[in-house]
Amino acid sequence: MSLLQVRKVTKRFGGLTAVDDVSFDVFEGTIKALIGPNGAGKSTLFNALTGFDRPDSGSVVFAGAELVGRRPRDTVRAGVARTFQNTQLFDELTAGENVMVGRQARQRRGFTAALLRLPSALAEDRDARAEAGRLLRLIGIEEWVDVPAADLPAGIRRLVEIARALATGPRLLLLDEPAAGLNATESRELVQTLYRVRDAGITVVIVEHHMGLVMEVSDEIVVLDRGRKIAEGPPRMIQKDPAVIAAYLGEGGDDDD
Amino acid sequence: MDELLQFLIAGLKNGSIYALVALGFTIVFAATGAINFAQGEFFMLGGMLGVFFAGLGLPLPMAAVAAIAATAAIGAVFELLAVRPIKGGDPLRIIMVTIGGSVLLRQMALHLFGPDELPLDPFTEGPSLKLLGAAVERQTLWIWALTGLAVVALALLYRRTTFGRAMRATSIQRDAARLVGVNARAMVTASFALAAALGAVAGLAVAPLTQASFHVGAGMGVKGFAAAILGGLGSPVAAVGGGLLLGLLESLTAGYIDPLYKDAVALVVLLVVLFVRPQGLFGGSGRVKM
Amino acid sequence: MGGRTLRALAPLAAVAVVALLPLVVTDRFLLKVFTFAGINALVVVGLALLFGHAGQVSLGHAAFVGLGAYASAYCTVRLGWPWPVGFAVAGALAALGGLVLAMPSLRLKGHYLAMATLGFGELMALTFQEAEPVTGGVDGFGGIPFPSLGPLEVGDAAALYWLVWAVVGVAVLAAYNVTSLRPGRAMRALHGSVPGAQASGVDVVGVKVRTFVVSALLAGLAGALYAGVVGFISPSVFTLTASVTFLAMAVLGGTGSLAGPLLAAVLLTLVQYIDALIPGLPQEASQTIQSYREDIYGLAIVLVVIFAPRGIAGLWSRRGGRGEAA
Repeated sequence: MSLLQVRKVTKRFGGLTAVDDVSFDVFEGTIKALIGPNGAGKSTLFNALTGFDRPDSGSVVFAGAELVGRRPRDTVRAGVARTFQNTQLFDELTAGENVMVGRQARQRRGFTAALLRLPSALAEDRDARAEAGRLLRLIGIEEWVDVPAADLPAGIRRLVEIARALATGPRLLLLDEPAAGLNATESRELVQTLYRVRDAGITVVIVEHHMGLVMEVSDEIVVLDRGRKIAEGPPRMIQKDPAVIAAYLGEGGDDDD
Repeated sequence: MDELLQFLIAGLKNGSIYALVALGFTIVFAATGAINFAQGEFFMLGGMLGVFFAGLGLPLPMAAVAAIAATAAIGAVFELLAVRPIKGGDPLRIIMVTIGGSVLLRQMALHLFGPDELPLDPFTEGPSLKLLGAAVERQTLWIWALTGLAVVALALLYRRTTFGRAMRATSIQRDAARLVGVNARAMVTASFALAAALGAVAGLAVAPLTQASFHVGAGMGVKGFAAAILGGLGSPVAAVGGGLLLGLLESLTAGYIDPLYKDAVALVVLLVVLFVRPQGLFGGSGRVKM
Repeated sequence: MGGRTLRALAPLAAVAVVALLPLVVTDRFLLKVFTFAGINALVVVGLALLFGHAGQVSLGHAAFVGLGAYASAYCTVRLGWPWPVGFAVAGALAALGGLVLAMPSLRLKGHYLAMATLGFGELMALTFQEAEPVTGGVDGFGGIPFPSLGPLEVGDAAALYWLVWAVVGVAVLAAYNVTSLRPGRAMRALHGSVPGAQASGVDVVGVKVRTFVVSALLAGLAGALYAGVVGFISPSVFTLTASVTFLAMAVLGGTGSLAGPLLAAVLLTLVQYIDALIPGLPQEASQTIQSYREDIYGLAIVLVVIFAPRGIAGLWSRRGGRGEAA
C-alpha cells in the first residue's frame, strides 16, 4: 500500500489548467522527486496536497484518509509537512524558535495553561526546545540556533525551514526546491540530510531543479509539463525517456552536474 | 412624494462627496495595496485652503484651483516624505505611517488656521432652485457638476493618456510595470497627488454648505472608505456607485427613521460590508482593476 | 555576562521603583499622572500583544476602554453592585466586544481589520454619546465611587496608584507568561508569515481571536479603573484620538516586547502632562504645549515606523546582543 495516493488531481486558475489530471503514488520510506520546467504545476500540486489550495477535482489519500478539503493545519496534524519555494520563516524569531513553532502541530496545552504557567505548559516548552535543538543538530546547523531568522543566510533559511517542517512530526515531508540558494557544500550536506530523514522513517517528496541532486537521491521521479504528467519512473529510465528529453532538456535545461 | 425627492437630492449631494473621497482611496489602494488613512485629511485641506486662498483676496475660481493644486502638492510631498522611505512597500507599515501622517496633517491645519469653523461663499449666489417641487440649493448643483467633471476627467486620464495607462499597468502588477519601463515609484507619488486633488475638490465643493474645519478629516475618511468598500475598492465606477448609494442610505435613514442615526449608517455599512462581503457589492473577485 | 545580570535585575528594579514611588512622590497631582500612566500601560500591554506580537492594528481600543468604563460605572452607580463585580463585568463586556469584532475580522487582512476597528470605535463613540439613558450622553456620567475591595475603599492618591499598578503588574505577568511560551511564538509567527504559521500547525484563527479578546479585556479593565480614579466619564474621552494615542505608545514601544511598550506608555503619558509637570510654566507656554500634544503622537508613529520599526525595544533587543548569543 502506498502512503500517498494522488488521483486525477486537476486545478485551474481562470482559463489556465495548472495541474491537469495528475495521478501518482508515493511509497512509504522512499524519496520521490517532482520535476518539470518552470510553470509545470509543481508548486500548485504541493499546495493542493497540503490544503493551501483546493483542487477542482481529484482526490489525495494519505495513510487511508482523504486530504482534499482539509485546512493546512489539519493536513500538518495528519502528518504531512511542507516547505515553501519562497521560504516562509518568521523573521523576528530566532532559528531555534522557528523550529519550536513547528512543534505546535504536536502540542496540546493551550492559552490558559501558558497564561497560568502551568507545569504542563512549561514541560511542553522544554520538550519543544529540546526537539528544536535535536533537529538543528540533525541537519547540522545548530550553531545558528539563537540568530534571528531575518539575519540568516539564504541557504541556512532553507535548512531551518526543513527543521521546522520536521518538528511537526511528519510521516510525509514535501520539500519545495530545498537546494535553491545552497552552495555546493551545502547541497552535499542536504543530500545526507535527506538520507537521514528517510532512514528515520519519513517519506519525502521533493520539487527540485538541481538535476544532479534529483538523480542522486530519488527512488522515483514524476515529470510534469504544462500541468500534465508526462513520465514516471526511476531516475535511470527518466533520463532516457524521449518525451522528457523533448519537453524538459530540450528547453535548455539546467542539469549542472 | 416631494419628501422622498428631497431626501434623494440630499442623498445624492452627500453621496457625490463620498464618491470623490472613495475615488481617492481606490487610486492609492491600486498603486500601493494599502489604505491611505490620511485620505480624509485631504478633504479637510481642500476646504481649509479654499477659505485661506479666498481670504487672501483671490476670486473664488482661482482660490479653488489654488486650493486643489496645493492639496495635490501636499499629497505628493506626504508620499515622498512618509510613504516612500518604507522599504519593500510593506502595506502594514504604509498604513501605520498614514495613520500618523493624518494626525500631523490635521494638527498642521489646526496650527495654521485655528480651531474655528470657517465659512466659504457659495460658488454662485442666489435662492434655491425648484425641481419637481423640491428645493435644490445652487451649491448642490455645483457639487454634482464638479463630481461629474472629476469622474469624466479621471476616466479620460486613465483611458486616453500615457500617464493613465502607466497608472493602470502599475495597479495590475507593480513588477511587470517596472519591466515595461514604468517608473512605479513615480506612479505611487502621482496616485497620492491625484487622490489628494479629488479629496480637495470634495472638501471645497461642500465647504459653502458645511463650513471648513480642521477636525472633519477622520470622519469623512471613514465615510469615504465605507463608500469605497461598499463599491468593492476595485474600480472608479464602483467607488462612485458606492458613494452615491451610501449617501442615499444615509439620507433615507435620516428622513424616515431618525436623523440621530445618520452618522451611524456609514459605520454600520462599513462593518457589515467588511464582515459579510469584503469584496463589495460591485467587486467580483476582490481583485483590483482600473 | 554583565549584560545578562543587568537584564535579570532590570525587571526587579522596575518593580521596586514602581512600588516605592508613592513614598517618594508626595505631590498628589504628580501621583495622579503616574496613576494615569498605569491605566494607559494596561491598555498598551494589550496592544503589545495584538500589535507588537501578532501584528494586527487596532484603531478602536478607546472604545473598549469606554465600554469598560461605562459598564463599571453603570454597575456600581445604577445597580449598586460591589466594585469588584463592576470591574469584572467591565472586563467581560469589553472581551465580548472584542470577540464580536474579531470573529468576522479573521477573514480580513491587516488593512481591512484596521478599518473595521476604526469603524467599530467610531460607532461606539457615537453610542456613548447618544445612549443617554445609560451613559448620560454628552453631559457625561458622574458620581462614580472610588474603587473598593469589600469594606476597604481605595480613595487616597497613593492607594489608587497602587491598585492600578497592581493590576498592571498582574497583567504584565500574565502577558509575559503568554508571550514567553507557545502562544507568544504563535502570535509572532502569525506576524512573520501566515502560510508558514499554517504549515507549522498554528491555529491561525484561534490565535487571532484569543489575542484580540485578551487585548480588549485589558482595555475594558483599564476603563473601569479610569472611571473609579476620575469619578466622571464622558464620550469625549473615548475617541479616535485616544485610540491613536494608545497605538502611538505601542508603536513607540516596539514589536515583540512588553518592556518597551510599558516604558513608552509611561513616557508618552508624562509628555501628555508635561505642562503641569514643569513647575512655574507660564500659562501661555502651557497652552502651546497642549495644542502640540497630538503632533507628538503623530510624529512618534511616523518616525518610528520609518526609521526604527522595532521601536524602543529595538534598543536592547536580541539583535543588539547577538554576538554573545551566537
